[in-house]
Amino acid sequence: MSSEDLAPLASKLGGTINAGPKTTVLSVSPERVVEACQAVSSLPGWYHLSTITGIDLGQDIAILYHFWQGKRFVQVRTQVPKSAPRLASISGALAAGTLYEAEIQDLLGVSFEGNPFLGKKLLLPDAYPSDAPPPLRKDADPHKIKKMMELE
Amino acid sequence: MQYSPEGMMPFGPVHPSLKEPEYFKLFLEGERIVAVEPRIGYVHRGIERAAQERTWIKNIYLFERICGICSFHHSLSYTEGVEALAPFEIPKRAKYLRELVAELERIHSHLLWLGLLGHWAGFDTLFMWIWKDREHILDLEEAISGNRVNKSYTTLGGVRNDLPDGLADRIRAEMAYIEKRAEYYKGLVQSEETIVVRTKGRGRINQEVARKLCPVGPLLRCTGIARDVRAEDPYASYGEVPPQVQTSNAGDIASLLTLRLNEITDSCRMVKETLEKMPAGPYRVNFPRSVPAGEATFHVEAPRGELFYFVKSGGGSVPERVKVRTSTLANILTATEMLKGHVLADVPVVLTGMDPCFGCMDRISVVDVDKSKEWTVGGEALRRYGVEYYRRK
Amino acid sequence: MGPFSPWLTNWARKRSIWVFHVNAASCNGCDIEILDALTPRFDAERLGVVLVPSPRHADVMLVTGVANPMMRERLRTVYEQMPEPRHVVAIGACALGGGVMKDCYSAGAGIDGIVPVDLYIPGCPPRPEAIIYGILKLVTGIPDPVPEGEAVVK
Repeated sequence: MSSEDLAPLASKLGGTINAGPKTTVLSVSPERVVEACQAVSSLPGWYHLSTITGIDLGQDIAILYHFWQGKRFVQVRTQVPKSAPRLASISGALAAGTLYEAEIQDLLGVSFEGNPFLGKKLLLPDAYPSDAPPPLRKDADPHKIKKMMELE
Repeated sequence: MQYSPEGMMPFGPVHPSLKEPEYFKLFLEGERIVAVEPRIGYVHRGIERAAQERTWIKNIYLFERICGICSFHHSLSYTEGVEALAPFEIPKRAKYLRELVAELERIHSHLLWLGLLGHWAGFDTLFMWIWKDREHILDLEEAISGNRVNKSYTTLGGVRNDLPDGLADRIRAEMAYIEKRAEYYKGLVQSEETIVVRTKGRGRINQEVARKLCPVGPLLRCTGIARDVRAEDPYASYGEVPPQVQTSNAGDIASLLTLRLNEITDSCRMVKETLEKMPAGPYRVNFPRSVPAGEATFHVEAPRGELFYFVKSGGGSVPERVKVRTSTLANILTATEMLKGHVLADVPVVLTGMDPCFGCMDRISVVDVDKSKEWTVGGEALRRYGVEYYRRK
Repeated sequence: MGPFSPWLTNWARKRSIWVFHVNAASCNGCDIEILDALTPRFDAERLGVVLVPSPRHADVMLVTGVANPMMRERLRTVYEQMPEPRHVVAIGACALGGGVMKDCYSAGAGIDGIVPVDLYIPGCPPRPEAIIYGILKLVTGIPDPVPEGEAVVK
């Protein structure tokens, strides 16, 4: 699929484009993410927000916003450092992203400022130990977490 | 429950001491729901993390147990995602077999939902009849794969076994039976007063809500938006045996009933067509133990809607990251929107309309905003309340 | 024991088992097979088995799932709300010992430590026939009480 229509958007946002056979990745800096998502979802055709994924890359955490348009995926991609895992929430502009961001808040410890679930848990049990790292981080040990919650 | 005229049994705080999290917190003003706050996570087990410690093949058995009702679609999305990552081409016969079982699962899931809707609406006879018909499908699934639920039929490189001899005729006969029954139920849900009163005009959503909240599956299609992953992004053999995407314009629960019944009929057609067009050949090839590094996004149309998998490989024999977004998660916000403005008695039917995994119906917490009181009510008690409410009307 | 003889009470109890079902973080596979056991093909209702809306009306609690932290307290509370004599049946591999989710960080190792289990029905999920067989085994295992003295149904 051609990614020409995304090239002007990318240059406006100061990001880069990486076009694959089915997915076009638009990488932007964390400050431009809300703008990028809004721009993608208002492109012609309806860009449905499938989900938001978080990946622990070691030093940083990558956040991927997957938009499905009916013929291709457009993935808005950004990275936040683990020392400052904060990002603006898209739930104001795109309400569909609320629960997906809340999931990443729970499981990876990234704060989405403006998300109604910030500070509350969506998925994790209330008994989740507060001194254990979020479960999907690389330094989280499932066995230790289980011992802390008295599951073993 | 303060408002209970004519001596209806008030079922006040059923479990006042339980502070465990609820699935939905309903804020009532007078009789009507004004806001809904979801709290999920009572089935949260930590599967995505556990997947990082299992080999590629073992993860199939883990992911298919995320949900027992659409378990095949979970394993299908995962295996096709990993095969797309490799990239790996599986034999054509395997693709057709995958579509066959996927459509059988769609039929069984829709029938399950329909029966449960009957149960929640107080129409237990419908529930019993439909689940009896559903047994035919479960028998077929067992004949093909060996288990009724959690089939583990798909595997990396194809499917686990071929169709047993003589089963094709039996499948055709059962499809004819199901089609007949689906026609009967279609007439029933449109004419039977118990169902019509509880579902017509309830849970209404429109395209504007759909675009804002991005639901998936029949919930999306009942607003008139014709999006179906099988048609847009064909996987397995859907390129050669595509679905006829069913939509409706009414956007309420009654239209969801007809929509899902139409999908059942369409799935029967696809099953028969798959049997006809299925080529001969191998059903499985060997898959390498490790998968080259890379990322793949894959989605399938599970019975409830788009099921999304994101797979990242670091080049080893275990995945580095697997992300699953189930269709119910995508529909929760829309369901909270659907509930607004309804009375408590409508809650079971409207919530079931979005086809949640029904364990989630277990716990609903109600907050009376005017009187600042909060209590919890169990699903079954709420169902009986709903039945009584409409019986009195 | 009141005006009814213990023998009669027990006889009636054995033939009318009211069950309350708790989903303690299950994938729903076992749950739909339990519901299936009540539908016309397998028809557990002919044996007197009825699903009730409240644990206060139940004789037997059927538990499925791994019992994650969110469900453990609730499971215990529901068990305590059941009037005696009460029994617990653990259904499915997850309730037995965690099943395939055993090493997941938010999954327990079955329901054993939380409530006392009287019967285990293995399977993933167990077939409805197995569930009915299990419940019958539980029921016939209830001993008839001694004619005089108090009735002990364990």
